[in-house]
Parts: sequence; structure tokens; C-alpha cells
Amino acid sequence: MSEFREAFEFIFRNGEVPGYPGLPSLAHLTLETLKVGAIGVAIAIVLAAPLGIWLGHIHRGSFFTINIGNVGRALPSLAVLAIGDAFFGLGLGVVEVALVILAFAPIVTNCYLGIVEVDPELVDAARGMGMGEWEILRRVELPLAVPLIFAGIRTASLFVISTATIASLAGFSGTLGDVIANETSYHFSGVLGAAICVAALALAVEGVLALVQRALTPRGVKLERAARKMDLAESLAV
Amino acid sequence: MTRRRWKHAMGLVLALATVLALAACGSSKSSTTNTTAATSGKPAVAIGAKNFAEENILGQLYTQALKAKGFNVSLTENIGSSEIIWKALKANRIQMYPEYTGTLLSAVAEQPTPPKSEQAAYEEAKAFAEKEGFTLTEKTPFYDSNALATLPAFAKAHSLTGIEDLKPLGKSLKLGGPPEFATREEGLPGLEKVYGVKPTFKPVAIESTYPALEGGQVQVQNVFTTDGQLLGNKFVVLKDPKHVFGFQNVAPVVSKKVLEQQGPEFEATLNNVSKLLTIPAIQQMNKAVSVEKQSPAAVAGEFLKANGLA
Amino acid sequence: MTGQLAAAGPVIPDFSQHSSSCAVHNHLFCADWVKANWGPVLWPALRQHVVLTAIAIAIGFAIAMALALFAHRHSWAVQPTLLVTTFLYTIPSLALFELLVAPVGANIYAAEIALVSYTLLILFRNILTGLASVPQEVLDAAEGMGMSRRQALIRVELPLALPSIIAGLRIAVVTIIALATIVYTIYNRGLGVPIHNALGEGPFKTELIVAGGMAILLALLADAALVGLQRVLTPWSRAREAS
Repeated sequence: MSEFREAFEFIFRNGEVPGYPGLPSLAHLTLETLKVGAIGVAIAIVLAAPLGIWLGHIHRGSFFTINIGNVGRALPSLAVLAIGDAFFGLGLGVVEVALVILAFAPIVTNCYLGIVEVDPELVDAARGMGMGEWEILRRVELPLAVPLIFAGIRTASLFVISTATIASLAGFSGTLGDVIANETSYHFSGVLGAAICVAALALAVEGVLALVQRALTPRGVKLERAARKMDLAESLAV
Repeated sequence: MTRRRWKHAMGLVLALATVLALAACGSSKSSTTNTTAATSGKPAVAIGAKNFAEENILGQLYTQALKAKGFNVSLTENIGSSEIIWKALKANRIQMYPEYTGTLLSAVAEQPTPPKSEQAAYEEAKAFAEKEGFTLTEKTPFYDSNALATLPAFAKAHSLTGIEDLKPLGKSLKLGGPPEFATREEGLPGLEKVYGVKPTFKPVAIESTYPALEGGQVQVQNVFTTDGQLLGNKFVVLKDPKHVFGFQNVAPVVSKKVLEQQGPEFEATLNNVSKLLTIPAIQQMNKAVSVEKQSPAAVAGEFLKANGLA
Repeated sequence: MTGQLAAAGPVIPDFSQHSSSCAVHNHLFCADWVKANWGPVLWPALRQHVVLTAIAIAIGFAIAMALALFAHRHSWAVQPTLLVTTFLYTIPSLALFELLVAPVGANIYAAEIALVSYTLLILFRNILTGLASVPQEVLDAAEGMGMSRRQALIRVELPLALPSIIAGLRIAVVTIIALATIVYTIYNRGLGVPIHNALGEGPFKTELIVAGGMAILLALLADAALVGLQRVLTPWSRAREAS
């Protein structure tokens, strides 16, 4: 379709629109989207991961972590941004708060599940060997929990990139959503082009995180997962 | 699991499904604002409106007036920008929508040379539409162009009546507008070329248009001639004798075939509505919708009733 | 033509008699505005939102179930299906809606295709996981009792897979309700419409809070309802469900 061709031309022009000099380039907007998203995910990891991991280690708080997963998902991001806008106006702070709320849920849930699912016999054995709680966490539980923890981070990153673009619908400027929300200036070819960029960004982030995950996963875990037809625990962690 | 639980569960699911199905049927019937009351067996006409308040008001005005005369019409609001709605028109998903003459020429026809007068804009737009199988019925008295507004005190202090009076202020003038104002011909470049005005530009988001002006963050602000906020004497609109902001009267773009099929009363009804739309009328309606948060449908209905068209 | 009428001019009614000073001053919650606009604006948006979600879940569930049953029998299909559904899920929602407008048009089909795509991954994974988690001994016992494969599926495997299936439905319903708030960008339906209108005007706090609040409540209520359904259908399952 000609629309897709025009969209790709738009991308190759780095987002220039004839007659509108001075618009931010596509590359810049993509980077900004990445930055806004990264801040949100980073803050969420700092807040959620330790909580989830610790709760998993002491085998408490399953109701909380599992249900907060769904509450976080249940909050339609546009609605959250809209209400935040009504009360506080729409600055980077409000947007980041919305992103952190969104990213918190999958991270805390998956960190919890990852640690909790570790074979209790292994943990007992480690305790029997005289390892301290911290050591057990570091040398036994965390390495085995890497797949699930990363599944959580990947899910969170996906949510966050989507929502960062939606923030433009609410009036926050600086991300690729600006193009998607501003059809009058960019025309449909521009909107489509930006949409393709967002999808590409999400896939790229997915890919990088998958590589990092592979690097951090201990060899034994990799072999074990390959032997199973489908990783049950990981598939449950959407 | 016991059979009883299954039965209960299936019952619940069935009940839910029935409720949802009813809601779906109910919504699909009322989502097309169609009362096929006194139709004369003519084919239905789908009217569209772009995605901002004034367009929705216009759409409601024409739709309700036509319905009052017994035509079988429906309105789809918030379709999108000129590009999108024109595509919908060409794909025959809608057969009519209200368009601004200047925008039709610049955004759809992509005509490089701007028209020289209000009438020329209308006629050139009409000529383009007719080449594509459509036509324009009569245009409205009102035009919704860009304009520059300022506070009365500022206007008095610098003896401002028209845009050319801004030239001596040079860079000391703080001028606000949406970001695209900086690059559009009907914006900073045009102001410089036509009037020699070179201010300091401050990008202002659309919803902050009037607060920025009132709060003093800008001294002159880009507004639209039909904004409801311009009623009363709170703001002074600077005259644009050289027409840097073009001509933007509204005229319904209608498929020629539809006009033939529906008969002369269809076009007459459209024109009767268009005649009434002066700038004060549209401003009052815009104010009711934008400032007082009334719905376009209600506002349009009241206006038509007051003028004997509904 | 217009010469004679120009003198008379139109009659402009006094709209301000309907205005509420609360709305004009943009207070957080204007009950009179809500009452006046519930019928024409807010209730239709809510209803449309529920319908959009229901259609997406119904179609998505049917497709995911078919895919899962197939992949359950033919395990080579698992990876390809997972790949496609994951890819669809990865595309950010706003992007997917816009991408579909080019081929399909800005209508309900584009909206529903996008929404259904997002349900597929969640439901496919969860249904398949549920089926796959049925212990082999139970299947053997069913075979021993003389059940055919189909009988075993309907009377043994699916009931045992229910916790996982409903967990998937929970996630899917809640996700779609959230995504449906963005449908307005291509199709003028759903709670996103009043939210968008309110954001453009000001922002108009009452409408934002009511429409946004309804979207959130809808999601939370749907989630709670499905949890209730799960308790009713599977009293034996522990709180530790798939999430």
C-alpha cells in the first residue's frame, strides 16, 4: 500500500515534513521516548524488585504481589494520566508516576514468583550446607529466578513504551506519541511512520533485554529450560 | 467438578452473554443518530465532522436541520483531520462534511498559491471539489481563520488596530501560538513576509491560549476568529487587511450524486442553515460548548429551534 | 440573496441559562454537569466501552481456544503460535491501531482486530498452560476408564485447566478495558472519547475524573467479578493462581 511506502519515506527523512522546518527529528523523539521509558522502568525496578524478591524469599505476601499485578494492569493508563492531569497538571513528574505505577506491578509479581518457585529442596540443601540467608539469595535463588525476573522487566518495559507514547494524547510532549497524536502537521504517512518506529523501538528493547537475560542466566538453568518443552512458570508470567 | 457447578457456571455465562448481546444491539441502534421517521424512501446520507468542537457543532446543525425536514441522515463526529475525512468522503463512507474553503485548497487540493479573496477561495475550492465528483453548497458568513489578539490595555498603549502596527515593536513583542505557528506560512514566516513583523515567539499549547494572554506570558496571541472567548470586550483582535491568514469560510462539501438524489429541498435546507451562521452566532455556540461544557448536539438543537429550523 | 437577510441576522439563543458555574470554573466535580451529560455523553461512552471489550474477549477467546486445542495436540505448533502472538502483543497499542487504519479503515474492524490481537497471546498461553499442566496419570486414568480423547478433553482436561484459563481471562479483560480507552484515536467510541474531549478543553476536570474514573472502576469490577467466577468454578484451587 502506498501509505506504508510513504511512511517509510517519512522515516528515512528522519521525520522531516516539507513546509514545517524546525520539527524535532524522529531520531530525537525516539531517543526521548526511550529516555522517559527508561527512567520509569528504572525507578520501578528499584522500588519493586527488592520488595518482590524479599517477599519471595520469606514466602510471604503472595496475595499482595499476585493481586497487585492485576490492579496495576487494570489501571487504564490514559485514565490515570487524565486524572493526574486534572489534579496536578501534566508534567514529566506526573507522567513518570503513571509509568512507575504501571511498571511496578509486573516487576514485583514476577520477582516474587521467580524466587518463590525455586525448588525448596535446593534452598534447604543450601541451608543445610551452612549458607546464610543473604548467600542463599545471591547464589541459589536469584540465579534461578533470572528468567522470571527478566520476564517481568520485559513486560514492564513494553507497557512503559506504549504508555509513554499515549502520554502525548494527554498533552505531554517530547515522545514519538507527538507525531502519532498530531496528524494535522505530520499527515497520515507521518503517523504511520512514527507508529512503525514505536513498534521497532519496543522490539529492539525486547531484543536487548533478551540478550542481557541470556548473559545473566547461569548455564545450568539454560540447559534445564531447553530440555523442557515449554517453560511453565515463565509462560504464566505475562 | 460437580454437574451442578457446571450448570451454575454455564447459567452465569449465558446470562452475561445475553446482557452483553442486548447492550450491543441497543448501542448499535442508538449509536447511529438515526430516526427514520418521515423518510421519503430516499437513500440514507452519512454526514461527517472533523475532530474539534466547531466542526461537531456544524455537523450537528446540518444534520438536525435535515432530519427536521424528514431526510434520512446520520452524523459521525470526530472523524479526524482534513486528510482523513476527505479519504472517508472519497471512499463513500460519508457523503458530506463541512469544510473550510482555505483548508480545502491548502490541505486537500494542495494548491501552492493562496486565494486572493473570500469569494475566490470559495470558487477555487468549489472548482476543485467538482473535479472530484463533489460540490460546495453556499458558504457561511463566518470565517474561522487564524488571528492575533491582545489585551485592550496593550492595544491602547501601543495604538494597535491592525497587525502592521506590531512592526515597530520588533523583538520586544512576545507573541504566542501553537508550535506549528513558528513554521507555517500562516504563521511567523507569513507575518514577517507580509507585514515585516518579527517578534519573539513563545510556543503555547492550545488549551493555554487565553490563560497565557490573560496571565501576561505573551502580549499577543494566535487565536481563531470564532473562539467563544472573544465575545465581550476582553480581547482586541488585530485587523489583517493583507489577509496573511487567508480565508476560511465554511461550506458543506457534498457528493453531487447525493444532491441530485435528495432533491432541491436538501440543498435549500443546507443553505438556510449556512445563511444564519454569522461570527457572533458561531462564537456563542463555541462558547457554550468550549467554555460552558454543553454538548454540541444540545447547542445546535437550541440554535435551530430558535430560528425555526428544527 | 443574503443581502436582505443580513440585516435581520440569526436569532441567537441565550445558552448561558443552561451553563453551570461549576463547570465554567472547572471545579473538580460538578454534579449538575454530570447529571446533564450522563444520558448524551457518559452513559453511551460506557456502554460502547463494554461492548468493545466484550466483542474483543469473545472473539479472542474463541480463536485462542482453537489455537490452544490445536497446539495441545500438535506440539510443533506451539512455538510458531507463541512467536506470532508475542509479536502482536509487543506492538504498542497506539501504533497497532494506526497501522491497521491504512489497510482496514478507521472503523470498528480496525479497533477490534487490534484488541483481539492483544488478547490472543494472554489467552493462548494460559489455556495451553492449563491444558499442559494436567498430570499424565490423570489422563491415563481417563483412558483407562474408557474415555475417548474428546471425552477426556471435555470432562477432564478442560475442567482442570479452568484456573489457568480464568486467570488468563482476568488479565485479558483488564488489559482490553485499558486499551479500549485509546480506540477513540481511530474510531469514535468508548470512554476514551469523553476523556479526549475533556483533555482538549482546559482540561475539563469533571469530565476527566468521571470518565477516567469509570474506566478504572470498570476494570477493577471486571477483575473482581472474574475472581468471583473463579472461586465459584474452582473451589479447590489455592490463592496461588497464575498471574
